Order: sequence, then C-alpha cells, then structure tokens
Amino acid sequence: MSDSRHNGITPALRRLRLLAGQTLGGALRMRLTPLLAAVAALLVLGSLWLRVFNFGASELKFIGDLGLGAIGLAGTLLAALAPAQLFFADLAGGAAACVLTRPVRRWEFVAGQLGGVAALLALFTAALGALLAGLLWWRGSQLGVVPVTLPVLLSACALQWMKFTVVAAMTLFISSYAGSALFAGCAGLLGAVIGHLRPFAAGGALEWLRVWPNLALFDSEALLASGQPLAGSLLLSLAGYWAICVLLFGGLASYAFKHREL
Amino acid sequence: MSATVTETWAVELRGFAKSYWLGWTGGRVHAVQPLSLRLSPGRVLGLLGPNGSGKSTTLKALAGLLKPTAGECHICGQSAGSDAARELVGYLPESPSFAPHLTGREFLAYCAGLSAVSEGRVTEMLAWSGLAGVAERRLATYSKGMAQRLGLAQAVLHDPAVVLLDEPAGGLDPEGRLLLGRLIRDLAARGKAVVFSSHLLAQAEELCDQIAILGQGRLLAAGSPAELLGARPEAVLRPSRLEQLYLEKLRPHE
Repeated sequence: MSDSRHNGITPALRRLRLLAGQTLGGALRMRLTPLLAAVAALLVLGSLWLRVFNFGASELKFIGDLGLGAIGLAGTLLAALAPAQLFFADLAGGAAACVLTRPVRRWEFVAGQLGGVAALLALFTAALGALLAGLLWWRGSQLGVVPVTLPVLLSACALQWMKFTVVAAMTLFISSYAGSALFAGCAGLLGAVIGHLRPFAAGGALEWLRVWPNLALFDSEALLASGQPLAGSLLLSLAGYWAICVLLFGGLASYAFKHREL
Repeated sequence: MSATVTETWAVELRGFAKSYWLGWTGGRVHAVQPLSLRLSPGRVLGLLGPNGSGKSTTLKALAGLLKPTAGECHICGQSAGSDAARELVGYLPESPSFAPHLTGREFLAYCAGLSAVSEGRVTEMLAWSGLAGVAERRLATYSKGMAQRLGLAQAVLHDPAVVLLDEPAGGLDPEGRLLLGRLIRDLAARGKAVVFSSHLLAQAEELCDQIAILGQGRLLAAGSPAELLGARPEAVLRPSRLEQLYLEKLRPHE
C-alpha cells in the first residue's frame, strides 16, 4: 500500500490481531458456542453415569474415551458451523465491506477470521479438557488410581484443537466461494467426516480420499489408553502436517475470497 | 482523456458497466450499462433510481468491492480497489449491522486500528457525528439514526477524499434525515466528494450539487438540480414546513 503506516509486518500483524479479536468477540456471543459447550459438558459429565456400560474396559479409560469423544464431536460441529456463521454474518451485515474498503487485504480478513475461530476453539478445548481432567482426577482419587498425567491430557487436547482448526480452515475455504452459511457449514461437516474416513481409503472406490487431510491422525483416545504423552518427533511431524493443512485451506480460502465480489 | 485531467476528478467513471452471469436459466443480467460520470472535490452527487437500477453496484465498484465488466472507475486518479484508492475512500454499506456487543467508541477504535488512525480521531468523530453522549453504550441499544451516523463516522474516520454512502437515509425519521443531511453538507464543505444513493428525492434535491438518475442500469439524466429542474436549490439545508411542524410537535415529548 502506498502509505508507510499500512506497509510491513508490524501493521499487518496489528490488523490481524484486531480482526481475530473482533471475530473471537463475535464467536463468543453466538448462541451456538454456549449450546455446544453445554452439550459437550453434559456428555463429559454423563460419562460418570454411563461408566457401567464400559464393555470391559477400565472405568477411567471409559470416562476418558467418552469425554474426549464428546469434546471431539462438539468441537468438530463448532469448527464447521462457527466460521460459516461468522463469515456470512460479516458479509451480510456490511462489516466485511467496511473492513475491506480500508487498507486491509483480503488474505488478512480470512486469516483474521481463522485466527479468531482458532482462539475460540482453543478456549473451548481448554475449558472442556479441564472439566474432563477434573472428572478423571476426582474419580481416580476415589478409586485410589492415578488416572492420567498432565502431559498426556495436554497432548490429547492439543491434538483435538489441531483437528478442529483444520476443519475450521476447510469450512472457511468453502465459505469463501459458497452462497450460504448453511451450505458452507454442512459441507465443512462433510469434509470432517471424509477426513475421519481417510484411513479406510485403500484402493477401489475410496482411493480418491487419499488427497484429503487425514483427520484420524489427530484422534487422541489412544494417547489416554497408552498413558504416554506424544513423543517429541511425532508431535513435530503432526504439527507440520497440521500447519500444511491449515495453510493449504487458508491459502485456498484467501485466493477464492480475493476474487469474490461483495 | 489525459492522465493530468483525470487526476483533477475526485470520482470518475469511464464507460463503467457491470453484468452478472446467473447461470443457464438466469442468463446474463446487465446491472449497469456503460456509465460515465465525474465529480469534483467538495461536491455531492446523488444517485437516484428505483430498486435494481444499479446504484449500489456503482457505489460498490467505486469502493473496489466488485470489478467492472467493462470501463474504468477512478478515485482521485487511482484505479478503484487499488491499495492507493482504498486509502482515499470511505464507504457506508446499505443497512449495516455492526458488532452489537461493542460500544460506539470501541467500534470506532477498531476501525481506527485497521486504518492506523489515532484514538484522538475517534473522540473527534464521535463529537462530529453527535454521538459523544452515547459513545459508551452498546451498539445493540442504538437507534437506526444513531447507527447510521456511526456508520458515517466510521466511513470518514481516516479522513478520506471520497465518501460513498449507500442509502444513508434509509429508514431514518425526519430528524435523523436532517442530521444526516447536515453531516453530508459539512463533509462537502470540508472538501470531500460525497456520492450517495437514495430514494428520497426531496432530500437529494436539497443536498446534491449533481444528480444522476438511473433506471434499469442506464443513465437517464444527469446534471445539477438547477440544470435538471430549472431552478437553483436553497444554499442552506432547512427542514420543510411539514418537517418543522413535525419537529415542533415532537420536541416537548423528548
């Protein structure tokens, strides 16, 4: 941009921080966020009452599995629906137009949206992870067993968050060219389902799934079962895979949005 | 036209046309047929016409939000939508709904941050738009008139040379329209070129130095109100007799 106030990394980072903060503020006030958080919290707490159906597994493992499953399910829904809802609300309400007639580049707008949603998903995962940890430790103290160490639980939550942000980036890409929030949200959810089916893509009709991100890599139930935190090298390679997926979908979203007429 | 001459116009449309492809069933729709208009700094241009006549499309093209199918749009000699042009433009979309959880001051501070404008300018704009008294209230509690004035304040926050307003008076009561009209005239007095779309013909007649009437994407008439109507408009914006009566009756109940 012609004015030095708008050029360079520092102004761009300032704009990204503002856009992400604004997106997070909007996301925290959506009805969807507390609704999904409440549903996930009820499911996590409900694992205490459902533990009799443990299919022979240890009680704490069952609580951990069900809790992480609940966080995964609600988080995936939030990751697919929230970006679509926020993106189209900004388009329809004129907020995007007001922002984009300022010295804000289209990719900055997309990155700000993704950053805000990623922050929302981090808060969501942290809050429900803390609830699950509290439940596991409370029940473990009653049974006289150490349920799970903090590094294991942190690794599990980090993996969940990575999966959610890939789904959010996927949904933002769809939103960047789609005509409605409903379509983008549903397509984002479908993308998440396909990502979970990716390990089954071995030849035949499912071969094409191999091009899709493998979201099953971020499933963390096995971590709780093993009781071991992720090895550093594995964590690094997963973080690399995650970064490639987010950058790929974020980049595609920016490209599509750059050519979109508002 | 030479580049030197082009740069003297705050707003210039040269053969601007826009069409949309609506698919095999809808075919191609011509939103704006080749349109040429010019506006000098310190002047107000009103785009008039029924719904679907191409007013918003023209404003969006000038704001750089959509690309012309043919022709060119220039802001102070810069191609609309370019980085340089976006620094020179302020835009108020039609029926904006800004973040309802923010206060008026927080919203303007957010816009100021994006435009790298000082916080002092936020206070200045709140006072200018008559919103200083409600600056700490949440936007969810703002009336339509307050929201429009806030929208105008965010559009001029970074002191742009050209202000584009899409239906700024839509849904406003007479008092709100008068206030908005005074703000628009004040912008022109400060040397800004203002382009706005409206269905309110009386207000356009009072406010505008130039009027362009569009219909089905075509320019039907253009010129000053005096040229178009054969009479010079009043220099000072005053409420009409009915508006005066309306305001007098309302004032004791406020």
